Amino acid sequence: MSRKIHHLVVLLTIAALIVAACGQATPVATEAPSPTDTQAPPPPVETQAPPTPTEAPPEPTPTEEMIGETYKIGFAPAITGPGASLGAPEHETGQMLSEQLNAQGGVVGPDGVRHPVEILIFDTETNPDVAVSVVRRMIEEENVQVVVAGTTTGISMAIVPIITEAQIPYISMASSGAIVKDPDTGVVREWAFKTAQDNFASAQWQALYLTAQGYTQVCHLSENSGYGADTLAQAKRAFEPAGIQIVYEDSFERTGTEFPQVASVQTSGCQAVVVGAIPPASSNVSIALRDALPDLPIVHGHGTCNQDHIDLMGAAVAEGMVSPCGKVMVSDTLPDDDPQKDVLVKYVDDYTAFTGKPVNTFGGHGWDALMLAVTAVASLPDGLDLAAQRAAIRDFLETGVKDWPGISGVYNLSPEDHFSLGFDSLTFVKVENGAWVFFPEDQW
Amino acid sequence: MKRSTYQNKYQILRYILIFLILAILVVVLGSRKNFGPLQYAQLSLDGLRGGAIYALIAMGFVIVFNVTGIINFAQGAFVTLGAMFTVTFYNLNAPLPKSLHLLLSVIAAILVTTCIGVLVERLTIYPARKSSPLTLIIITVGVFITIQGLSLLVWGADAYVFPAFTTLEMSDRVFRWLGMVIKAQSFWIWGIMVLVLVCIAYFFNFTLLGRAMRACAVNRLGARLVGISPGRMSLVSFGIAAAVGAIGGIVVAPIIRPSYDMGLSLGLKGFVAAIMGGLVSTPGAVLGGLLLGFLENVAAGVTKAGLKDIFAFILLILTLLFRPQGLLGVRKTTVETDGAH
Repeated sequence: MSRKIHHLVVLLTIAALIVAACGQATPVATEAPSPTDTQAPPPPVETQAPPTPTEAPPEPTPTEEMIGETYKIGFAPAITGPGASLGAPEHETGQMLSEQLNAQGGVVGPDGVRHPVEILIFDTETNPDVAVSVVRRMIEEENVQVVVAGTTTGISMAIVPIITEAQIPYISMASSGAIVKDPDTGVVREWAFKTAQDNFASAQWQALYLTAQGYTQVCHLSENSGYGADTLAQAKRAFEPAGIQIVYEDSFERTGTEFPQVASVQTSGCQAVVVGAIPPASSNVSIALRDALPDLPIVHGHGTCNQDHIDLMGAAVAEGMVSPCGKVMVSDTLPDDDPQKDVLVKYVDDYTAFTGKPVNTFGGHGWDALMLAVTAVASLPDGLDLAAQRAAIRDFLETGVKDWPGISGVYNLSPEDHFSLGFDSLTFVKVENGAWVFFPEDQW
Repeated sequence: MKRSTYQNKYQILRYILIFLILAILVVVLGSRKNFGPLQYAQLSLDGLRGGAIYALIAMGFVIVFNVTGIINFAQGAFVTLGAMFTVTFYNLNAPLPKSLHLLLSVIAAILVTTCIGVLVERLTIYPARKSSPLTLIIITVGVFITIQGLSLLVWGADAYVFPAFTTLEMSDRVFRWLGMVIKAQSFWIWGIMVLVLVCIAYFFNFTLLGRAMRACAVNRLGARLVGISPGRMSLVSFGIAAAVGAIGGIVVAPIIRPSYDMGLSLGLKGFVAAIMGGLVSTPGAVLGGLLLGFLENVAAGVTKAGLKDIFAFILLILTLLFRPQGLLGVRKTTVETDGAH
């Protein structure tokens, strides 16, 4: 009898395991339209849309509005895993845009045909293997027109070969320039685009700040990740021309309980520490540095532009730490003639209303990537086959995005530049009373 | 007998020689970074703190291995559960003073984790108790992955904030002494580790249940003949191991930011420490833990700190190659011949 119970329990456990395992791989989108919806021929969202043809024939529109096929955007941020503090706001932004698009009834093509747009949300779990498999699934099973995925550099680099082989336009939300351009050959990757500022731009700001403070010898600590390694590489590029020497460089683990790096920082004689990490790693290393060396200035990179970074180390520890960040963090202080002002203010209002949380730059990277994708699919004429649609989207991204105001900056994409934002798309911020505030150059 | 004394003397000399060579290497490497006595002291102290956490986790490995003969890779999961349950209970609103609230959360978390440990044994190990140890070890790996997956579902991927025991705030009191920096939490970690070690020693030496468990470890068949149920002992060992693992997770929680996957690296380090201690003795596990923490931190400090985890696993390989019986252990072959007589 008890054996039977055991068998039952074991079976149940296995069933639970399978469910849990499958749950990870399936789209996390209960709120967003689920991929199976597409099998039903008339998209249900259309009913709430502006005048449907049957209701409104006598409207002034000369041509009757036609409903074309549903465009699908595959969206895979790092909702869980080590990149989650960045991926979660991207996910929320995706859900918000999905709702807005449904409310608008999708997009209208250049030939007047209305197309519903579906954002299929997946989770990469900040795991390259999972990322590759969900992207493959988007391309081969869901037949998406464009892929928006990759919260962190490592994940994006794992996705790049897949989308190149499948010839599908891809927009990453991670920072490294290597995603859109092969760093060894300098060749632009044909199908890859990205929306997060380069670490080089971030390092240029850091160099500017360090120079203004009169520091010439700095330490660089980077997280053991693709992002961390890239911050170090870009810091070397940007600091040397500015006459700043990196006297000690090292990496650290996100999960570390001790930081032996601190002893080396102490004896290296550097005047400031530059940290290349995302929360919680950036917070952990900051605490270790603050404990041992309370007066040593700490400069972070733009991977820390969210509230988690401050909350995880405590406002007292974070006080006075500086970082280059996107303008979205300080949108209310921007002049009215700033080309991004309207977009930023609307996004900040929408995001805070939708989530009830303060805004951060990572959701902005997600907004830019998704809205670029939406703008691109809106440019498609009706009646192309999937391969032609994908190629047309890629061509549009290269040629059709000019002076396009986004959250992270004003985009001017071209065949030579699949990113186009530079130094001036960032601004400089500082932690004051537990929040990021604008820190203009004249106060340095 | 005589021969073994000679061997011992010879071995001790060999260890002193190895130690001296390592010390010289460390000083040479450290001098390139201008390390003074202060840096070595700081690195050692930090290393011993990390080592105390590894020691706590290693004790759990040893207790289960002693009684059941299997390596319980789910130990790391108990570490996560201890920390995460405490955070959860502490974040509940309760009209209590902070200190009492924390204490109750800690006790509740240890109890819950112990129950989970017991459940794990009953649901996964007990039904398969007639299988080979290898099968059981693979089952524990599966248990670890399951618990980590469930933790992700329950707590999400966020890192949580845990108050330091002394200040009950996020920022801990920091003692500065001769230029060294010691967090108050370090003393809690060392103190609790010693307390746990003493409790375990008392339990296994002076209580009936503890002695029955030891009997089970020495000779399963013999223990069964005198009326000890190995199944029950295995159950108790998992319960104790889970409790000790949970304590390890709770004391380390204030100095890291606990998250669902914290148990993986801590569990592996605890495993290395247990192997260094020979897997059969709790004092050995503590020594192994402290030595592991100390060596990896100093080695990482004088070379490249990014390689810290690599040093831990190099130590594991060296131990398995040159001293598989562990630091305090006796060669296993002798034990087996003794048993045969």
